[in-house]
Amino acid sequence: MSGRRTGQVLLMVAGLIAWAVQFTIIYAVTSTLCGRGWADAAFLGFEIVPMTIVSATLVTFSATLLAAVWSFRNHRRKGEQPVSGADSFMNHVATLINGLSLVIILWHGISAFILPACA
Amino acid sequence: MNAPESPRSFGRNEPDYPNPLPRPEGEFEALQKAWKAPSGLSFITAVNNTYVGLWYIGTAFLFFILAGILALIMRAQLALPESNLVGHDLYNQLFTMHGTVMMFLFAVPAVEAASVYLLPNMQAARDLPFPRLSAYAFWAYFVGGLVFFGTIFFGLAPNGGWFMYPPLTGSKYSPAENADWWLLGIGFIEISAIAGAIEIIVGVMKTRAVGMSLDKLPIYSWAMLVFAVMIVIGFPAVILATLLLEMERAFGWPFFIAERGGDPLLWQHLFWFFGHPEVYIIFLPATGMVSMIVPTMAQTPLVGYRLIVLALVATGFLSFGLWVHHMFATGLPKMSLSFFSAASTAVAVPSGIQVFAWIATIASGRMKLTTPSLFIIGFLFIFTLGGLTGVMVAMAPFDWQAHDSYFVVAHLHYVLIGGMVFPLFAAFYYWMPVASKYPLSERLGRWVFGLMFLGVNVTFLPMHITGLIGMPRRVYTYPVGMGWDTLNVVSTIGAFMIAAGVAIFIYDLARKFRFASDDNAGNVWNASTLEWLPNGNYNTRSIPEVVSRDPLWDQPNLSKDVEEGRYYLPGTATGGREALVTSPFDARPQYILQVPGPGWQPVLAAVFTAAFFLLLTVKFVLTSVVCGVIAVGCVIWWLWETDPGPVRPPADIGGGIVVPVYVTGPANHSWWAMIVLMVVAGMVFTCLIFSYLFLWLVNPGAWPPQNVRIPEWTWPSLAAFLYCGSAVLIAAASRQLRGEDRRSPISVPILIGVALLFLCGGSAIDLWAQWGTDLSPSAHAYGAAVYAIMSLQIFFVLTTLIMGAYTIARWLARRLDSVRRTTFDNTMLFWYYTVGQGLVALIVVHCFPRLTGGI
Repeated sequence: MSGRRTGQVLLMVAGLIAWAVQFTIIYAVTSTLCGRGWADAAFLGFEIVPMTIVSATLVTFSATLLAAVWSFRNHRRKGEQPVSGADSFMNHVATLINGLSLVIILWHGISAFILPACA
Repeated sequence: MNAPESPRSFGRNEPDYPNPLPRPEGEFEALQKAWKAPSGLSFITAVNNTYVGLWYIGTAFLFFILAGILALIMRAQLALPESNLVGHDLYNQLFTMHGTVMMFLFAVPAVEAASVYLLPNMQAARDLPFPRLSAYAFWAYFVGGLVFFGTIFFGLAPNGGWFMYPPLTGSKYSPAENADWWLLGIGFIEISAIAGAIEIIVGVMKTRAVGMSLDKLPIYSWAMLVFAVMIVIGFPAVILATLLLEMERAFGWPFFIAERGGDPLLWQHLFWFFGHPEVYIIFLPATGMVSMIVPTMAQTPLVGYRLIVLALVATGFLSFGLWVHHMFATGLPKMSLSFFSAASTAVAVPSGIQVFAWIATIASGRMKLTTPSLFIIGFLFIFTLGGLTGVMVAMAPFDWQAHDSYFVVAHLHYVLIGGMVFPLFAAFYYWMPVASKYPLSERLGRWVFGLMFLGVNVTFLPMHITGLIGMPRRVYTYPVGMGWDTLNVVSTIGAFMIAAGVAIFIYDLARKFRFASDDNAGNVWNASTLEWLPNGNYNTRSIPEVVSRDPLWDQPNLSKDVEEGRYYLPGTATGGREALVTSPFDARPQYILQVPGPGWQPVLAAVFTAAFFLLLTVKFVLTSVVCGVIAVGCVIWWLWETDPGPVRPPADIGGGIVVPVYVTGPANHSWWAMIVLMVVAGMVFTCLIFSYLFLWLVNPGAWPPQNVRIPEWTWPSLAAFLYCGSAVLIAAASRQLRGEDRRSPISVPILIGVALLFLCGGSAIDLWAQWGTDLSPSAHAYGAAVYAIMSLQIFFVLTTLIMGAYTIARWLARRLDSVRRTTFDNTMLFWYYTVGQGLVALIVVHCFPRLTGGI
């Protein structure tokens, strides 16, 4: 598979990979800090657990937004130059997947504002 | 209909077909001869996907019947309070075997089996790329599954529930061999599932009709691709879990024993990291079937193709973020639960997208109310209800109330029967005319559907209430006056209604099913996809070029043209079995794959692999080891005949397209399979590292425990040096094997041999260093985790040793040179993986405890 094709596949699932990264980070940090009794640990005056969730959410959301915009532009560009059916399809599905991923990432970040870290 | 693209866009300019008529005399006969299945006793050595696929489906259905009978016995026991029909010990075995057999021996194999049969036909491929691997997977499953099921007749069946939670299943509370049968039997059958998944991934990506680019791929192929990737990611977790629990039971390594630093929750994490995706692993292929059946029944293209692809891919990802929702009652922090609760509700979105797409397709066409249609409607109704109760139990507070009650039993049966069994029955009725001379009876089919649909609802709808008023699952009886009596009687009546429906289906099957390789009932539904092309043992006479997702609707003469041999590769270029390999995105012809034919090797390898695991269960260690060695020998015998090299110059497949009959490197199908295998191995290792870190988390101040020394830096550094050195030597051997002049220098086996010494040396030094610190694997979870990581690495080093020796043997036999080097490439990839894994293992085992400083 060529580098361009690999890039297309990665762009197609970029949002879901970003969600997986967000999920792994927030679950790992919460489990570790709560498991070790470091629920109140703070960094620069902020509690680490909610700060991690917010930071991970912001970073992965931004990355996914970038991927969504990029894939959307690729998709819109199809009228300007001839692209194969597979290319058009990949760009469109990438836009859809990255768009859905934005919602899912936000959905997972909400808990930071609702629940106590280790209760 | 989709607007067809311009046909024949792969470098040819002629407006006509790729191959002219009339076809040369003897061409078709040669094709038939190459693909003829063996007769007599050798019939079982057949590897054609149509044969293996049908045996596979039949065996999976047999297990469905057997597990269903177990369910009927349980329902008979529960029909009345304080019943003595079945004692508690047998009841424990019954519910464990029912769940285990349904999940591991019916559901996953059934959908995998269906794909072995359907995928090549649907993609107009001659066969799957590794037919012997399919045969091996089937026979391993067949032998292992039957022996495993037979344990119930001897009181040896597992009895710890289908998810086998320790400490109940540890040696302290389950000292008998019942649990070992589950751990070794199921762990082994999962390996068979992974073999099938590798086959499916490479098959979907590399063997398709010409022009069947990703946007024209049947949705079923998309579903199977996601399914197979999920198996590759998810199943290693349960394989590792079974290994860890078996090591604990056999050698006392305390991964799950709390008194010695273990934690039973580790099992739950590993099991459910597999177990929840397992639900979608079963469900997604079923949705793929539904997405094929609905457009045919409505006689209109599928609405929302791209949205359905989105839904499949998104479900595949999200399903790996749900596993803790089976652990809501284990006392994890609420914040952690909320992540899984969020994922559990989020996954309903892609599922909903698919449901709405099917409804829109039905609405945009004219749905014929055939038996497959009825089962689809039943699926939509039952699965949607199961999905709704799924959203309910995704809410942690509700789950705490319903946990381990009959509400959960009702929910999971609505999801699994609705989401998998009904689509499978729809598929049986829908695709029967492809496999049989006669379709099944529509009149009896309506009876089957009616009884099953009513039966499912009569059985499981009351269970929601039974659970909510307090009946726990897995109790073998209950006292009078709890308010559960009537509901249980109703559920039992419903179960026997389902059985009556299935019995009619079997009767109809016996009446109507007659295996057809080239005289099937034909396209009775006016379907649009390629499995309905005229076919034989070779599948399609010529490989078509498709221009849309509904080729039989958009290319009206396609069936006739394909059958006459007008399309690609209408004969056999090498005189043997072949498949046309196409590029993964655009499906452009790449090369002709020389497909191995029938042989005893996969059958014998499977039987002896099964014997190895099953004899180990009953502690016949020596016999087991002998069987294991024979199994490895059979695999080597099997592989020896593969990697044939370029037996002839590039061949013209039609339309002026000339493709090679052998390629190496990343374009080769076995390169892809090896990459997938490395992902499987990487997932096993990742799960093991997760286990190590999890055990560290639950052992504050004891990682390592007091009085345990960590080896000096010198040893891991030396081991790392040797690992890296072996990789460098293999890279050097690879460079020696480059060029077009079929070079085969003697330096190649020498470099491989020295590299083997380096690799084995690295592993031995690490083991020796740990051993020298008197670290015991059975005293504490720390030692167990360290030795588990080293054991896995030693296993990979030994495998690499066998592969390296095999590669040298091929060089000695003059079967390895700079052109014919696929065997070397596979060994090289595996080698690099083993070195990488070894280096990460060294870092974790030697650096992590130092970095954390024992906290």
